[in-house]
Amino acid sequence: MSEIGKALVVDDSSVNRLVLVRRLETLGLEVIQAENGMEALALLGAHPGAVDVVLLDVLMPELDGYQTLAAMKADETTRHIPVLVTSSVEEQDSVVRCIELGATDYLTKPINPSILAARINASLAAKRLHDLEVESFERQTALNRTIERQKEELSRFLSPQIAALVSSADGEQLLAGHRREITVAFCDLRGFTSFAEQADPEEMFGVLAEYHRMMGAAITEHGGTLEHFAGDGVMIFFNDPIRQEDHVERAVRMAIGMRERFAELSSAWHRRGYQLGFGVGIAVGYATLGRIGFEGRHDYGAIGNVTILASRLSSQAQDGQILVSPRAQTMLEELIESESVGELTLKGLTRPVMASNVVALR
Amino acid sequence: MPQAEPAEPVLDEAVLAELLATTGDDPAFLRELVETYLAEAPAQVEAIAVAVARADAAALVRPAHTLKSSSATMGALRLSAVARRLEMAGRSGALDHDAAVDAETVRAECQSASDALTAWLAREASA
Repeated sequence: MSEIGKALVVDDSSVNRLVLVRRLETLGLEVIQAENGMEALALLGAHPGAVDVVLLDVLMPELDGYQTLAAMKADETTRHIPVLVTSSVEEQDSVVRCIELGATDYLTKPINPSILAARINASLAAKRLHDLEVESFERQTALNRTIERQKEELSRFLSPQIAALVSSADGEQLLAGHRREITVAFCDLRGFTSFAEQADPEEMFGVLAEYHRMMGAAITEHGGTLEHFAGDGVMIFFNDPIRQEDHVERAVRMAIGMRERFAELSSAWHRRGYQLGFGVGIAVGYATLGRIGFEGRHDYGAIGNVTILASRLSSQAQDGQILVSPRAQTMLEELIESESVGELTLKGLTRPVMASNVVALR
Repeated sequence: MPQAEPAEPVLDEAVLAELLATTGDDPAFLRELVETYLAEAPAQVEAIAVAVARADAAALVRPAHTLKSSSATMGALRLSAVARRLEMAGRSGALDHDAAVDAETVRAECQSASDALTAWLAREASA
């Protein structure tokens, strides 16, 4: 017979214990027994989580029912176990005291078998409910841990801002698409294509890794949102998904920082025989931002003239130049020293654009 | 006067029959139970006698309580009633002359109950 639960019978009378054990076994329970409260607590300690219901006598040597009950309720591992107090009719006051101490219910001796069955079933149901709650809580905790771990993994592949956005409350709305003014910085390497043709793949990946590491540090430092790496081309935008009042300033500071660090990298590369240059284009304007792509492979991206403009400026930039759009130049006037590079005719744009090169911060 | 209760039988065999029915209709179990009771009850009677002789009310409660309870379970209702009176006396804290009389009565009733249970067992075995 498979047991429906495990009961602990605590009674100092062997006769009462025998009868109770037998009846509980007839009901389908597995039963362990103790002669007094001391033994009962020792058994509960020895079988943590195993006992589903305790039938507790009140008047016992060593440790009586009250003390046993109080000890059980004070212990985190036993406080949820239902306790049925077994007592005689003369002990009604004791029953009240036991219920106040946390007993689930009581049984009057001599014990009526039908009432015993009913109380046992109710207690086992309560215990099962409690166990389910504990199990569900544990499952939820495990799930939360998994989600946290996934977020952490996600943040390695995505910009931290976008990883945070995906799991934020208004993430769905922002991902669905919205329009906002942003600053876009587009950076790429001069001479990368010919370098890639000549160099060993290992060498090329080594150079790219150094370059990306340097870029990544600068992007993080200035709070940029990395849209993508495409070989040597890197697109970063500001003011989305996190709002940044000073988005133009952040972009230009980042670009200047990159240019300085690139100079160190390129002189090392130069000693190894590679001629690589660095150019940046910066533009300000409205774009539509959100989830772009197809089921199974989405990116968080920006679409608008501003991204095209930044990309075209970047391809026009000579080594060491940071070309900014007229609007960006106006917004940065007080912050930077710049020189006009004149009107540039950019692919895909109908009108020529007056571009300026950022010389330095003022 | 607290003499043996004429209203209560020495042994209510209906209690034993119900006990048998509610413990899986197993005569061997009932035999074990009766034997356990017969082995345990005299010690409680002795503990009662000692407590009453010393006028120790607190020490009287537990053996009287246990004897009351186990006797009721076995159908030894008259013995259970006397034991109950002794338990009450112990709980009240004052052991008077009646308690001393009951302590003697409980010994006699325990003997009667034991004889009745032994006879019942013998009858059951031959049935």
